[in-house]
Amino acid sequence: MSIKRMFFLLAIAFGVVILLLGLLVPSLNRTHKFSTSQSNHFRRQIDESDGKLPPPPAGRMDWYRYEEAPPANRLTGGSEIAAGEKISRGMGGYNGSGVAPSAGQPLRSRRVGGRIVSAGKPLSEEAQRLEERRIHSGLLSVTADEIWVIARPETQAVPADEDTPGCGAMLAKLPKGDKEIPLPLKHTDVKGQISGYIATVDVTQQFHNPYDQKIEAVYVFPLPQNAAVNEFIMVIGERKIRGIIRERKEAEEIYRQARRQGYVASLLTQERPNIFTQKVANIEPGKNIDVNIKYFNTLAYVDGWYEFVFPMVVGPRFNPPGYTDGVGAVARGKNGISGQKTEVQYLKPGERSGHDIAVTVDVDAGVKIEEVKCTNHVIKKIFTSPEKLSVKLSSLDSIPNKDFVLRYKVAGKTVKSALVTHHDKRGGFFTLMLYPPESLSYLKRAPMEMIFVLDCSGSMNGKPIAKAKQAVTRALRKLQPNDTFQVIRFSNNASQFGPDPIPATPDNIRKAIRYVENLQGSGGTMMIEGIKAALDFAHDPHRFRLVSFMTDGYIGNEIEILAAIHQRLGASRIFSFGVGSSVNRYLLDRMAKLGKGAVAYIGLDDGAGEVVDLFYERISHPALTDVTIDWGNMQVTDMYPYHIRDLFVGRPVILTGRFKGNSKTTIRVTGKVGDLTQEIAIPVNLDDSAAAHQGIACVWARKKIETLANQAAYDNNPDLPDEIKQVALEYGLMSAYTAFIAVDSSRKTAGDHGITIAVPVPVPDGVRYETTVQN
Amino acid sequence: MKEITAIILMSISIIVPVLAQQSEQDITTVQPRVRFAPLYIYLDSGNKSLAAYQFELKAAAGQIKIVGVEGGQHKAFKEAPYYDPAALANDRIIIAAFNTGSELPKGRTRIATIHLQIIGDAEPDYELKLTVAADADAKEIPAKISFEKGERK
Repeated sequence: MSIKRMFFLLAIAFGVVILLLGLLVPSLNRTHKFSTSQSNHFRRQIDESDGKLPPPPAGRMDWYRYEEAPPANRLTGGSEIAAGEKISRGMGGYNGSGVAPSAGQPLRSRRVGGRIVSAGKPLSEEAQRLEERRIHSGLLSVTADEIWVIARPETQAVPADEDTPGCGAMLAKLPKGDKEIPLPLKHTDVKGQISGYIATVDVTQQFHNPYDQKIEAVYVFPLPQNAAVNEFIMVIGERKIRGIIRERKEAEEIYRQARRQGYVASLLTQERPNIFTQKVANIEPGKNIDVNIKYFNTLAYVDGWYEFVFPMVVGPRFNPPGYTDGVGAVARGKNGISGQKTEVQYLKPGERSGHDIAVTVDVDAGVKIEEVKCTNHVIKKIFTSPEKLSVKLSSLDSIPNKDFVLRYKVAGKTVKSALVTHHDKRGGFFTLMLYPPESLSYLKRAPMEMIFVLDCSGSMNGKPIAKAKQAVTRALRKLQPNDTFQVIRFSNNASQFGPDPIPATPDNIRKAIRYVENLQGSGGTMMIEGIKAALDFAHDPHRFRLVSFMTDGYIGNEIEILAAIHQRLGASRIFSFGVGSSVNRYLLDRMAKLGKGAVAYIGLDDGAGEVVDLFYERISHPALTDVTIDWGNMQVTDMYPYHIRDLFVGRPVILTGRFKGNSKTTIRVTGKVGDLTQEIAIPVNLDDSAAAHQGIACVWARKKIETLANQAAYDNNPDLPDEIKQVALEYGLMSAYTAFIAVDSSRKTAGDHGITIAVPVPVPDGVRYETTVQN
Repeated sequence: MKEITAIILMSISIIVPVLAQQSEQDITTVQPRVRFAPLYIYLDSGNKSLAAYQFELKAAAGQIKIVGVEGGQHKAFKEAPYYDPAALANDRIIIAAFNTGSELPKGRTRIATIHLQIIGDAEPDYELKLTVAADADAKEIPAKISFEKGERK
């Protein structure tokens, strides 16, 4: 190569370099301090602050500092652990973003001071060694004691291992205990008021920051699956800020901005109709922030008993392989490992979060209350009159690890006010509890094809599967000679007692009971396999096929299951039995509704035999089918559910709709029992103020949302989400597409949003941590 | 010649992603500024006791989002007032509160604080309209409504 040509090539190369530098310099000016090209989070933060770099976040102060030693009382252990964990877990790079740090990046921090402190106190020598080892293991590719911070994650910080405190990697010591556990949620207070069959419930969650840095608390919690959540208030000291209902994405964006800018804010989102996430941002050290949620719901009424349920904990869900829109169950501090959109962190056996719960319920039944039961909690009850009752959860039973289920029996065979109305500027709303005719209980049923489907997954291991087996055994013994039956079990796959349903002979029943007795709980919950096995075979036209699912419903892919039921149901009827202390009532209720059947719950302290006997009593009589209603002068529109399902003895259905009339009229319900036509007449007075309730409009809107959401499970109509959103916004209700946001704009807290701490919860009573929680 | 072609190709392969990244950053930087600020609402009922009110607020100019509604200074109106969610869909808020107690405010009192998200640099113009103010007998009373911006400059 000639010298001239070499110079020519060098000149071109030089030109290219100059060109590249010209392009790169503005970009470097923007991001040079953090090398954030892989961090969308941080880039947004910089951009949104007009190119100015935000102050170093309090929660990561040690990482952003150059030479300063950490102050003695700062909670830094968690921060270091979090970063160390990311290294050791090898999430594709040092910061989990897939990019390793490189020399020359200016932002760096040293582990100075020589000691790691936690909860304001130095860790023990052993813990120090553990921390040293963990951090060092992550520094294999990093120079000596330098640690590079590229960006912090949008989600919670991750602690190192299960021995270190998790949930954002912050620690607090219990005054009398030696276990270190996070305490971002102090207390939940539940106040229920029941009038007739409608409950108004106020739930107050008391968040508290016991640390010396700002935190964001994240709490995934349950509410009843039919709760119409219509009020959300953030309480800061004596100030109360009412939250605003907005489109979910919009609310999430407002929250993100407020959190980033240092404002106290809270956001409530719905993950499932019975699972919600509460986020509270910028809780300053030592400060309390309460969040008050109000909802209405209708109570279940079965065989003369009302049932008020307040769920206290989300059970650990199983998600099928490849599914990401589920609800993950992970050990405390292991956020992100489930790969699911929503994640619940669980405490290990023996751990206690310090979060407790108080429940009071005031009942005004309108008629005499004859009996009260609460099988799984200790309660104190006071009758203020024969119709009025006050119930309080005992302070000795305040660990929130099982559903609070209050049942009370009222005098008479029907409720006092079956029709409850509400009028406002939008018009009239009603709910009607529709009872099956008394005459049904005197008629006998047709032969049945009984299919028992037993969930034998890991979450059922122990007490729940024992209860389920008791129930199936009892049910098998109740079969009549003309019936046929099948027993199907499922966990990771499904198998069955015999190739086809067999006659209910004493010998077959004995063999089936032995088969059931040998079943054990382990493995995943591939419920779809159970659905297929139960519904995908030829129907015997001479028998009424009844499929009984015995499950805790701990799955994250509810929509898939409901869609499968809709597609495969055919002539079958589904009766779902929820077995356990804190079952997925949303799934079980919807399965029964879609399956045109009914639902029953067997708590761990309930007698399985009693529940099954009641169930058999119900199905021992024919249902009222092909039900139609003449509403008289009510001019009813927008009734939900669209179609009235069969009426079984002892099991009323609740209808809700809108109306225009305002006078006395008679509602006439007609249906068929076999070939016979039955009619029920219900006289009503629409002006009766005693039968009015302000929550009825919300109950109606919530029912409409539920109906549309059910439809969305099997209908690809792209307008359904918008329709749900519009109803929710108009009535100020939570839904999958709306959220409550509250921001205190009057004061900006110092620094940015600090560290995110998820609230860990106990696994439900009777559920084994080892077989359900991803660790 | 081969070397020149190689250099040009290499330059293109480097420049294109850099330009793409640059344009992505330009898109993100054009997002409007977002800030939060309170708006204090006052009502002057003169010498009459104020037992109930309803007002309507919207931004005549500028872009705002209501992100919280807080109660007033007098204990009769301390609770967070209610808003009409249906009205909110039309970029306005209708707020109402009442108190049936005997201790009611007179004169000028802060009845509510509206927490806002303000989008963009433009200063919003607010349109505030008192729908009704009433006394303990549910009789309409003359009253004057006003607001004060709480944003720190």
